[in-house]
Amino acid sequence: MNKKTKEDTRLFTTMVVKKQDWKLTHDEELLELLLEGLTKNFNRYGYFCCPCRSAKNDREKDKDITCPCVYSWPDIKEFGHCYCGLYMSQAFFESGKQPGSIPERRP
Amino acid sequence: METKFKFIEEDGTKCKNELVVYALSTCGFCHRALKFLKEHSFKFKYVYYDELEPEVQEQIEKQLRDQFNRSLSFPFLVIDCKRFLIGFNQDKWEEELL
Repeated sequence: MNKKTKEDTRLFTTMVVKKQDWKLTHDEELLELLLEGLTKNFNRYGYFCCPCRSAKNDREKDKDITCPCVYSWPDIKEFGHCYCGLYMSQAFFESGKQPGSIPERRP
Repeated sequence: METKFKFIEEDGTKCKNELVVYALSTCGFCHRALKFLKEHSFKFKYVYYDELEPEVQEQIEKQLRDQFNRSLSFPFLVIDCKRFLIGFNQDKWEEELL
């Protein structure tokens, strides 16, 4: 498996927000922590498991929490950002509000 | 609970409550939570759950579920083995701890 760098992960997340019309968090410290977390997860599991959830080290079992997780869309709609705070709606981004932990939607 | 891992202990001047944090090394809000406790000089201990062996993870998950009837999300703060906070929202942590 090819290892990814933090810059590879940054490129991946940038492509996600472009496609989904989301924004990356404006909290720069949080952004760097999450990019490092996603990179660490890719390099130990082989897929971008959500950095704020416990992985099973099984791509199929973790399919729903592979970034962008399937809960991102309803979470961004309801709370303005995804579970880990990486992705934001345009409106939440422009509000300048700080992301915080939100309820876990995963069953 | 049989422990097969070591908590990382942080010393601090505030030691009124026993504080234990289960965190993920990759999680931004977990880092924020640990930083909050350090900046406010709390004595606490924590472990990075994602760096533990799967059987130890299962043991911790079961223990917390049995004790608090809640599934494990991060950060998971246990206060005096009786109460808990899930996730990090600074206002809630300040209200509970300060």
